[in-house]
Amino acid sequence: MKNRLRVLRAERNWSQADLALRLEVSRQSVNAIETGRFDPSLPLAFKLARLFGTSIESIFTEESFPDIQEPG
Amino acid sequence: MPFCNKHLSPLQLRSLRLFAANLAGTALMVKIAHDRYEQAHPSILMTYLLAAIAAIPVIAVIAIVGRYLARETDEFVRMMVVQALLWGLGVTFVADTFLGCLFAYPSISEVIPPLNLDLFVVSAGVALRIQMWRNR
Repeated sequence: MKNRLRVLRAERNWSQADLALRLEVSRQSVNAIETGRFDPSLPLAFKLARLFGTSIESIFTEESFPDIQEPG
Repeated sequence: MPFCNKHLSPLQLRSLRLFAANLAGTALMVKIAHDRYEQAHPSILMTYLLAAIAAIPVIAVIAIVGRYLARETDEFVRMMVVQALLWGLGVTFVADTFLGCLFAYPSISEVIPPLNLDLFVVSAGVALRIQMWRNR
């Protein structure tokens, strides 16, 4: 999953440690999410969205988005 | 929270201390049980009782790890710990199978095999250190 976390963080001049403090997680968690090594849970994703004042979809995007077929 | 910064949270510190105390307890219980076997040649019932007593700290270790995982609020740290525990289990199973076959030979069975808990703790600890280094 791709994300705009680094950009959003840079816009606010926050370090990874600053964001980690606001999210109440470790700096390593923020780093792992930013680099795409770890996908956060929904509660953490909502927390991120709330913190940046945006929606989850505007932070996280799937790298390949397969077409979802409606059930017949 | 900053699990990987050598600054442990109170929960991590408390869990680690309890974990270490119970490991020491396990070693002590195994030593006591071993000494009792050698000195007193206990009855079958007593043998089972001693073996069960020696296993109590192991149950406590599992409870401590479970309690820690249930209370850890950082999901990434929790994932790293769970992965390290799985590595520990994997290494223990492999080593146990390997040693189990090896100790079937009379000349090798004289050697004292390592405790599964030792194998598990060491391999899970190494796996956690590697995870922490990779995600530093």
